[in-house]
Amino acid sequence: MEVSPPDPGTQSPPVLPLELFRLEEAVDFCRSSSLWPLTFGLACCAIEMIGLGASRFDIERYGYGVFRASPRQADLMIVAGTVSRKMAPCIKTLYDQMAAPKYVVAYGGCAIAGGPFKFPGQYGILEGIDKIIPVNVYIPGCPPRPEALLAGLLKLRDLIRQGKADGRMSPAAIKDFSNRQNPVYKDAISRDAFRNAAA
Amino acid sequence: MLSVTLPPDTLRADKDAARHGYACEAVTRRDGLRELCARLKDQGYFLECLTALDFSDAFELVYVFSRTESASRFLTKVVLPKPDASGPGVGDIFPAARWYEREVYDFFGIRFDPHPNLKRLILPETPRIHPLLKSFKGSAVGADAEEVLSAIHEDRAAFDLLNPRTPKNDADSYELNLGPQHPATHGVMRIIARITGERVLSTECTIGYGHRNHEKMAEIQDYRAFWPNLGRLDYVGAMAYNFTYAELIERAMGIEAPARAQTIRVLLTELNRIASHLLWLATFLLDLGAFTPYFYCFDDREKILDITELCTGERLTYNFFRFGGVAHDIPEKRIQNMISDFIPAFRQKLKDYRTLIGKNIIFRKRTQGIGVLSKETALAYGVTGPSLRASGVCRDDRRVTPYSIYPRLDFEIPVRSEGDSYARYLVRMDEMAQSLRIVEQIYRNLPPGEILLPKVPKTVPRGEYYFSTESARGSFGIYLASDGSPTPYRLKLRTPSFSNISAFSELGRECFIADLISIFGSFDAIVSEIDR
Repeated sequence: MEVSPPDPGTQSPPVLPLELFRLEEAVDFCRSSSLWPLTFGLACCAIEMIGLGASRFDIERYGYGVFRASPRQADLMIVAGTVSRKMAPCIKTLYDQMAAPKYVVAYGGCAIAGGPFKFPGQYGILEGIDKIIPVNVYIPGCPPRPEALLAGLLKLRDLIRQGKADGRMSPAAIKDFSNRQNPVYKDAISRDAFRNAAA
Repeated sequence: MLSVTLPPDTLRADKDAARHGYACEAVTRRDGLRELCARLKDQGYFLECLTALDFSDAFELVYVFSRTESASRFLTKVVLPKPDASGPGVGDIFPAARWYEREVYDFFGIRFDPHPNLKRLILPETPRIHPLLKSFKGSAVGADAEEVLSAIHEDRAAFDLLNPRTPKNDADSYELNLGPQHPATHGVMRIIARITGERVLSTECTIGYGHRNHEKMAEIQDYRAFWPNLGRLDYVGAMAYNFTYAELIERAMGIEAPARAQTIRVLLTELNRIASHLLWLATFLLDLGAFTPYFYCFDDREKILDITELCTGERLTYNFFRFGGVAHDIPEKRIQNMISDFIPAFRQKLKDYRTLIGKNIIFRKRTQGIGVLSKETALAYGVTGPSLRASGVCRDDRRVTPYSIYPRLDFEIPVRSEGDSYARYLVRMDEMAQSLRIVEQIYRNLPPGEILLPKVPKTVPRGEYYFSTESARGSFGIYLASDGSPTPYRLKLRTPSFSNISAFSELGRECFIADLISIFGSFDAIVSEIDR
């Protein structure tokens, strides 16, 4: 029997009997349902992260409760807390050690942009983790409640399922805070001036 | 009154102890300090705090000494003319001074001699800045992404230089690195242990991974604006840290909060202390491999957080106290109902914990006789809080410096004499019961009346002040030097975990690796509070 090639102009594409997933979609669906976070707390927010793992909030309901201590086994980094200058290289190393695809959640004001510890001319902290590693979801708060982290993780789940979070994002845009005023630093005064009001 | 014969110096005992927090102040010559320290040690004093003041013509080193049984605090100063300031090291007399001297070197650039290991403690090696100098007017790093990245590369190179990737190993021993990202360090901290087989020979702690500019921030904003920082200093037991600041500034200003506010403060602080100990219990047992108490303890902790959240609006980083009172009134009826539900339930839970944990043979084997901290070592390192009371010293700031309504309350100070991890566990368990007793005494009869003074001064009178209160981790003190302006001249936070963990190197030797974790956990360290 002779089969002529379909004419692209007139014929519709062949319809499969079953609506199937694309393979990527199926993989993303599975991946988004069991993210393994890195056990990694920096400051206050980490306590809320631990709280999310405990009985009342129970992160395990969503399959995100497998906290791994080794970055090699984790695919989600929750940056919970202030990133200090001394800690930043270590976080970069940890991120580099995680196997792709890997996702980052900036949890709390400090991880987003320095939080309450940011002032012009500060010397000790990194003003936002997105300056050194790409971030998928930002969760504001100081600290955000555990429910907020849960909401953020579900947001990440949706992003992964929609194929919008590929785990290899380019660094986020750097925000410009240059319009903030400089603080007034004190000058050293002499010991006499310090002790005597008249001097 | 101090009875040492001081070197020919000025000794002023005219300080108003209630207002300034210390009774005696002396200026010591640089050469006379070591002698003075030796004498103070013989008289039972321990070094509580050491910091520096930066003036245009000289540095002043400020040493705060305290005693175990009374609040008689003694403050001495050493004047170091600029430039080339170099201080006398007293680390061999008070080992507590070693870390403090390194911190002063880090922040002010003052060198100490003799000192066994004078290098930066908190900041990384590369930004060659001494941030608490008045001549430091801010750094540009942190604002620009390019600069941050290049700074990180620099930091990394310096880090590698100091801590080679290939540790100094030999046939008998090798170096094991724990942290800064390690589940058992409770935050970000690094422990470098030299081990042979399973046995730890020596340990060294590296801190500073959680440094957040607290003390510099105090100097650039007014007194009120520093409140949020105190909530974030120790985020597990923040209420007690707010308490210290409130008491210090109120005493310095000469005002007193109304009775209702005082009672609310104590009520919330004690509830917060229970919550803090519960979190410690959960994570300590998690370190030891017990998973179940984590769920139990956090369940109880959430109940306390519900109460504090209803009162203050926050779960962790409380910012509820004000100078002269508290921010707003609490919903009394609802709180009373919640607490009256909580008390009998928690009392039963405490009993269960004692059975579930305290009688567990594995837990006992892993804590009894492990990490024994002797009374002398504890005092030499300035250890305070439950860790000190587990070593047989009954020192609690709620008793030695009576503040707020504590003198009128009926409670005991639990003390154990063994000094091991198990004793530290028992002391904290007993403290929870005692805190519950305090809550029970006051929650039903909150005095009526005002909660906040209508008018509070904006400045603190010229002078120096020190005050400490008992937090869940130990004695939290603040040293304040005020020049009479709306911002502090210098504000030093003397955090309990800093001193407690400086004693860790003394315990982390001649033990097993697994015990290292158990000993570290038993100290209840909060890393942000160590690093500030």
